[in-house]
This record gives sequence, C-alpha cells and structure tokens, in this order.
Amino acid sequence: MRAATHLTAAGRDVAVRIGINQVRFTAVHAVGLVTLLSGILSFLVISQATRELGRIGATDLIGTLIVVAIVRELGPLITALVVAGRSGTAIAAELATNQVLGEVRALEGMGIDPKQYLVLPRFAGSLVSMFTLLVVFDLVAVLAGFGATSLNGMSGARYFDIVLASLGARDVWLTVLKALAFGCIVGVVPSYFGLAVRRAPTEIPIAASRAVVTAIVGIFLCSALFVALG
Amino acid sequence: MTTPPLVFEHVPLGRHASQPFSLEIPAHHTVAVLGDEDSGVGLLGGYALGLDRPAAGRALVFDTDVAALPEPERLAFRRRVGYLPAGEGLLQNLSLRDNVALPLRFGSGASPKEIDGRVNVMLAAVRLAGVSQLRPAQANEEERRRAALARAIAFDPGLLVLEQPFDGLTARVASELLELARGGESADGARRTIFITGQEIPPLLLRRVEHVYRLTRAGLLEPETV
Repeated sequence: MRAATHLTAAGRDVAVRIGINQVRFTAVHAVGLVTLLSGILSFLVISQATRELGRIGATDLIGTLIVVAIVRELGPLITALVVAGRSGTAIAAELATNQVLGEVRALEGMGIDPKQYLVLPRFAGSLVSMFTLLVVFDLVAVLAGFGATSLNGMSGARYFDIVLASLGARDVWLTVLKALAFGCIVGVVPSYFGLAVRRAPTEIPIAASRAVVTAIVGIFLCSALFVALG
Repeated sequence: MTTPPLVFEHVPLGRHASQPFSLEIPAHHTVAVLGDEDSGVGLLGGYALGLDRPAAGRALVFDTDVAALPEPERLAFRRRVGYLPAGEGLLQNLSLRDNVALPLRFGSGASPKEIDGRVNVMLAAVRLAGVSQLRPAQANEEERRRAALARAIAFDPGLLVLEQPFDGLTARVASELLELARGGESADGARRTIFITGQEIPPLLLRRVEHVYRLTRAGLLEPETV
C-alpha cells in the first residue's frame, strides 16, 4: 500500500500499463480455459443431479447445488487454481529471472523500489483478473446448468426461478471476498518466491514450483477458513 | 577543501584480504580500482550505493552512509548517484528507450512530455536515437552499454559508479563513453566524479583517469603504473 502512495504520476502510468498487461495475460488469455472448465463441471454435476433428484421429486435443490456448491465454493476454488497454475508460475519465474539477471539490483541502484515496479502492478492485476474470471466462471456455470436441466426436461423459467430463489446477498459477498482473498494469495506468494531467488538460474524453476505449491495450499486453507467462519 | 563525494572506510574485501579497504575519491576526479575477482573489487559498487552492507567499516557518499538510511530515504538518495552495474542490468522486457526513461518516470516529478524530451536528448548524446526501440536482447553489447550509461546519468548526478563499464568494448568506444560519463570539464577537472571498478581498463583511457589503483588478493591497494 505504501509503495502505491509513493508513486510519481509518470511512475503510476508505468505501473498501470504493467497491471493492464498482467490482466491481459492472467484474465483475458485464461477466459477460454475457465469457460471450458466451468461449463463442463456445471453441465456434468447438474445433469447427474437433475436425474437423481428428479427421482425423489427434489429438483428444487438444484438451485442450492448451483449456488452453494458451484458458484460459492467450487467457482472461486477452481478459478484460483487456474490463475495460480498459469499466472502464479509466470509471475514467480519472471521475477526470479529479473533477480538472476541483476535487474532488481539495478532498479534499487537507480532508486526505484522493486515493489513499486515489479510487485504492485502484478498484485493489482491478479486481484482484478481473479475477480473477472470468477464472474466469467459463475455466469458460464449457471448457463451450463441451464443447458443440463433443459436436456433433462426442466423449463428455463423454472430453472432460473429456483437458482435466483437460492441466491442470497451473503452468497454474493462471500464469493467476492473469496475472489479478493485468492487474488491476494496469487499476487503475493509468487512475487515473494520470485524475489527470494539469489543469483543462480537453477533457482528459477524451483522458485516457480514452490510458489505454485504454496499458493495452492494457501488457497485451499483460505477456502476452508471461509467455510469454517461462514 | 571539498568533501570527497565517495569515501570507503576500513571495509573488508575478499577472503584473503589481510587489511580492510580504505579510499577517498576526490571530487571531479576519475578514479579506477582494478583487481581480480578474488580481490573483492566487485563488492565496492554495491557498498557505495548501500545495496550491500559491509561486514565492518562503511562507505560514505556525500558524507552519508547510504546503507544506514531507512529504505525510502535510501532509494531517494541513490538518485543522486549514477550507477552502471556489471552486466548493465537493463530490463529485458523494455526497449532501450524505456530503460533510459525508467528512472525519470519513477524518480522525478516531471511530466511525461518533459521526460520524453529529456530522454530524446540523452539518446542522441549516447548515439542511440536510431535503435532506441530495440529490446536489450536485440541490441549489441555496445548499444546496451550506451543505454545503461544514459540511464545512469539520467538525473545528471554528481557522482557516477561504474562497474566493469568497458569490458568487451573497443578502446575507441570506451573512450567515448568515458567522456560522456565525465560530462564535460569544469575548473576542477571533470564535471562529474567517477568511480570505476573492474578487472582491466583500456590503456587508451588511462590518460583520462586521474588515479588508477590495483587491488591485490591480499587487499593491498597499489597505484597502477601507467
């Protein structure tokens, strides 16, 4: 936060440009993958559930399944795993390379805070990307659920009725909070491991691997914490 | 008498050094300290800028122990010193032009237009105007070194610390870069004080360097015979 407030106007322009680039790589380039995963997951789960719950006349529970299981729990988790796997690795490897090539030292030598130039834009980009991809994931999941229930004979009006009836304000803010928390993890953990590298190029893949593993563990722990506190 | 812009006081260097390193770099002088890798000569630039902290002793820049300053002040202070690190340290994902502009963008309150104007002048001075859009990996060693020097003098500093600035360059190019680094002449000598570290220096440059010292493995500082 302090790094952000000490930026000059021209420095802020540079940081914003890097942040936008990060969003392009982290969010825009991952839309296809997130759409695919969300669509397949939701379609499979809702298809099976519609059939099984239909037998006992409990298809109303599909709304709860979509909202609680997919939108609120699996959506943030899978999106965070995608972002950590794709961009967490890239951030850690990039910053580790900056470190090994002496670029971080050169920045410090010029009086530029590496946190301002390297970490802050990636952190902000990860937050924005995580939030955007989660919205994409949830929208696609709801639409895929609609496709699955339609194929099993449920009308669209009824499907959207039971989904909207199950969706409360708490689900929305919990999902948003998770997006922010997971975005923080994906922005901070890889940056830390990337910059912790000293001078050996052999440390780069190790840093990338450690960053992703730590971020994934962090995401699962954080998710469990949300469930425990929620 | 003017305070020396850079002073090393009893700084231990190298594993084999029998005595700590002390040296004053007089204002408006160009001073080179040369030595093998084992001598620890490569540590001096980092100590001067407070990038590394010596185990004992201290390095004073303009009478300030940079390494002892709190981080924000340390970063701000370094803008008073130009630094060309060994290996140039250019950011690979930026063009040469953006590399030169970077310290001005982050360290000056100037408008983008003013920064662009200043960068144009600097690129012309180091003769990079035609290739300024190249990334470091696309440029040759001479162009990269020119860009790194332009970046080091972006704030028109009074003191320049150059690590291995002439390695791999022809004597003619090295001589040209040294003149650019000196920034013209003043009544007392060069306009800037320059501290050079490295293993060797082209003989052609020796007449433009007021003091050349050879650092031995034992940590002894001997005036180089020209």
